[in-house]
Amino acid sequence: MPEIFINGQPVQARDDQTVLEVALANGHFIPTFCWHPQLSTAGNCRMCLVEVEGRGLDIACNMPVNAGMKVSTDSDDVKAHRKAILQFITLNHPVDCGICDKAGECTLQDYHYTYNGEASLSIDAKVRSTKYYNLSNRILLDNERCILCLRCTRFTHEVSKSMALGVERRGDVSNIRPVEDRPLAEDPYSDNIVDLCPVGALQSRQFLYKSRVWYLEATPSVCPGCERGCTIQVWHRKPEWFVKSLDQRQNTSIARITPLENPAVNGPWICNKGRDLARIFERTRADQPMIKGRPVPVAEALDAARRLIGAARHPVALVSNWGSNEELDAFKRYLGEVFASHLKRDWMPQEGERLEDDLLIRPDKNPNTAKALELFDDTDPAYHDGTDLVLVWGEGYDFARIPPQAKVIFMNSYLQPENGHADVFLALSIQTERAGHYTNFQGVVSAFEPCFPKGEAVIDAEVAFKALAAPARGHP
Amino acid sequence: MAGRQLIMSFPVTATSHSLAEYRGRGGYGALEKALRQMQPAGVVKEVTASGLQGRGGAAFSVGRKWQVVVYDDGQPHYLIANADEGEPGTFKDRWILENNPHVLLESMLISSYALNVRNCFVYIRGEFDLPYRRLAGAVEEAYAAGMFGERILGTDFSCDIVVYRGAGAYVAGEASGLLASLEGKKSYPRNRPPRLTVKGLYQRPTVVNNVESLANIAWIIANGAAAYKEVGTPKSPGTRLFSVSGHVNRPGVYEVELGYPWMKFLEEDCGGIQAGRAIKCVVPGGVSSKVLTGADIKDLALSHEALWDAGSTLGSGGMIVIAEGTCMVSLLQILMRFYHHESCGQCTPCRHGTGWLHRILDRIVAGQGRPEDIERLYYISKFNDGTTICGLGDAAGYACSGILDKFRDEFEYYIEHKRSRYDGNLECLRSS
Amino acid sequence: MKHLIPEFEKLRERFPAGFESSLVLPCVRRIQEDRGYVADEDIEQLAAYLGVPPIQIEEVLSFYTQFRRKPIGRWHLQFCHNLSCSMNGAERILAHVEKRLGIRPGQTTPDGRYTLSVAECLGSCGTAPMMMVNDGYHENLTCAKVDQLLEELK
Repeated sequence: MPEIFINGQPVQARDDQTVLEVALANGHFIPTFCWHPQLSTAGNCRMCLVEVEGRGLDIACNMPVNAGMKVSTDSDDVKAHRKAILQFITLNHPVDCGICDKAGECTLQDYHYTYNGEASLSIDAKVRSTKYYNLSNRILLDNERCILCLRCTRFTHEVSKSMALGVERRGDVSNIRPVEDRPLAEDPYSDNIVDLCPVGALQSRQFLYKSRVWYLEATPSVCPGCERGCTIQVWHRKPEWFVKSLDQRQNTSIARITPLENPAVNGPWICNKGRDLARIFERTRADQPMIKGRPVPVAEALDAARRLIGAARHPVALVSNWGSNEELDAFKRYLGEVFASHLKRDWMPQEGERLEDDLLIRPDKNPNTAKALELFDDTDPAYHDGTDLVLVWGEGYDFARIPPQAKVIFMNSYLQPENGHADVFLALSIQTERAGHYTNFQGVVSAFEPCFPKGEAVIDAEVAFKALAAPARGHP
Repeated sequence: MAGRQLIMSFPVTATSHSLAEYRGRGGYGALEKALRQMQPAGVVKEVTASGLQGRGGAAFSVGRKWQVVVYDDGQPHYLIANADEGEPGTFKDRWILENNPHVLLESMLISSYALNVRNCFVYIRGEFDLPYRRLAGAVEEAYAAGMFGERILGTDFSCDIVVYRGAGAYVAGEASGLLASLEGKKSYPRNRPPRLTVKGLYQRPTVVNNVESLANIAWIIANGAAAYKEVGTPKSPGTRLFSVSGHVNRPGVYEVELGYPWMKFLEEDCGGIQAGRAIKCVVPGGVSSKVLTGADIKDLALSHEALWDAGSTLGSGGMIVIAEGTCMVSLLQILMRFYHHESCGQCTPCRHGTGWLHRILDRIVAGQGRPEDIERLYYISKFNDGTTICGLGDAAGYACSGILDKFRDEFEYYIEHKRSRYDGNLECLRSS
Repeated sequence: MKHLIPEFEKLRERFPAGFESSLVLPCVRRIQEDRGYVADEDIEQLAAYLGVPPIQIEEVLSFYTQFRRKPIGRWHLQFCHNLSCSMNGAERILAHVEKRLGIRPGQTTPDGRYTLSVAECLGSCGTAPMMMVNDGYHENLTCAKVDQLLEELK
């Protein structure tokens, strides 16, 4: 374990570490653009130049440790060089901050203020390039903003392996470009490059111009798109920045979704399906309980359901594998003895969806099968002439399979025709409206937290199960 | 003749490059000696003892570079002759390829034997036509004579060679840029560590040597390190091929014994300056070396140490002689345009710096220079020095700051008066 | 490029095992020699043949000055305009040619005969000024020599 000195302080290093890694691990910040712990070392931005006694300046991200070496990360020479590197980076960088989505979370902005802070020394026109390059239907590229750190290119070669990006031409007219016959659109991990980009060159179309990042906050959650259960951040408007006069829905909608770094599950990545969760969560909701299509108050619906349960002799339940650990436990506890319960897989793989790969994507497109399997039978219900009640919890069930004589209690979050046909319908909350946990296919338990209020007539499944277990009365 | 001749030691005819005539000059005798009488380690030792310095630009000890390669480490080793020759003013490797290709091949065989190399390559710039054809022809001859292939000269040593053509990129002359190109990719140089002699071509130990560096190996093995050291100076043993061009009357490739007086060489061998003019300055070793004035070189010898002391370098041996009356601003504009065109674009200081330098020079030449431009040029040069992945950035800075150091007044004049002090054109014979 | 595969197979044998990626430059050069430029389908086919990602070939095509993805005139005239050539009249001769052909560097004559380019140092400084005509070097140029040469190029 070699000992080296950083800014005069001794630190313990490992033989396989670079000076950058040792410095960061010991609280000595060294600015970088192109370096990323999950990507190969590019060493092209030159921002991490440090001074080594007796050797002059060199980049820290590619510098092996030698016992006894004396490194300075903040000498006058280092500072002068950082300023100069930033001068070079901003030489041709357009001053787009006013219209650039990255403002507020831009590494270049941050470093400019911290390490440079002075205007450009150039009076010559900046090199121009394409500003609205259609990298894919999801990602827009602005080549003028690009600092050619090559994080995006390395990602597609080393992580997602789509080999989709490269550099055309050379010198200061180099441009990131996608390979022509295999667009980035086919890469289900493409949007990670938007996170990786240290400047505003790569922009997500779904987030484009939606909001300034400082109006938003992130709530930790878990992606329900498959049994990997990647942890994510759901971005939404901060309460103090709620719009008052424009469309109020802006205040309770998902602005964007980004990964929540998680060494145990997904590292720093998620797939595009996780970015698109608004497509799932923001479908039209069922916002009102119903009895045979007639809207009723919650209490009345619960009461009607209880009576149906009390009268049934052969009740069958289809249990949702989108239920949280808490909800599944509650069902087992309160209704497990009452119903012959069967696990239902709410979502099957969609047409064109990648089934499985070496990176994150798993074939089971549901968040909590693992927990559900612990508690419930993984068989199809055996209906017979005596089946008189079927409780369907969650989506994805083919109602044609239900015997015609059976009554139906349907508990669901989204608007679908079956809601109106059920004998009793209860409108349920979704994961963005409550706290809970999912268990992924490897047994890792991850938490999600609420970020949106639920509708007045919408009920948590956990609460509903307990209520349904009570004997039928006038009041729940 | 500028001293003893080791490589250009025979009259060039239409056939002097052939295998038969090479043999007639004693060719492939050194290979015999190495394979039959010496151990690989002995060859490395001899080359190191000779003090041979690299002829591509850096003048690093060839033997010291070779010594990093561990003979028996169980992995493939590669040897590559760098025939990219893109440094402006340099055309001496071309002479070897056209007129004496077998000395390169024999030397590469000896070197491959020393370094446990089974597959060696010549990376030749894509634009070279006759040099490529001559070299390819020599390779065919050598194979036919059993000098390449399995069990050479009946020994256990086997070696194959591939001549690999580049496709137009100065940066492919940088050793790691060359490797990227030889791996079939765009020519992006690599950061070191690791050194190429540890992880080079396809991450295997690789020695990249300049064509002329290698071409000396045969002579050294044939005659011995001691004999080599008797040629030249103690700090600069041997000879160097200089490509001389610019405003001299007899441009061309000359072999100069190191230590030879510079002015004598220019006046006698190179026929003096066009139009009888005085020497304004000389770019000694390719445009990436710092320019020296006529006064600077008056009493200098052509050796590494003399030029290092004078603040410059023999570099690639590409000597460009510039006559009095030449506009250094227009000259620098060409150089800055060159580096801008050739920057690979990978690292920040060079990618933006070379473009910036070029644009400032364009502006000055167009009569729109500003007083602060000179400081700006120095700034860009300074922060390209030692901050880049490869030497291209540094070189652009040296070319620029070198010329500014010696001729700042010309730039100040041009900026103030919005025109050249001279007539701006670079031709000597045609200008007033 | 399918008809070139037998040649490529022979070329492959000259290289050590595992060097497929290295074949990109020589194969591209050969394809261009054959067709006059490199077409889009050549990229796909070569990538599949060598087992390299298509993006690698695209990068190579745009990085190196000698490769092109569009056809050019029958005679490619490339004038070096670097230092020694400029010091010996390159600009002057280039201007002469521009006037005679009526095109600037980067352009092709309307009859498709000549494409004019400028190039950086071609390693011929001792015989400056010079130009390449397709693959060949033409050195020690004068205006008269160039005129004669252009006459001979049909």
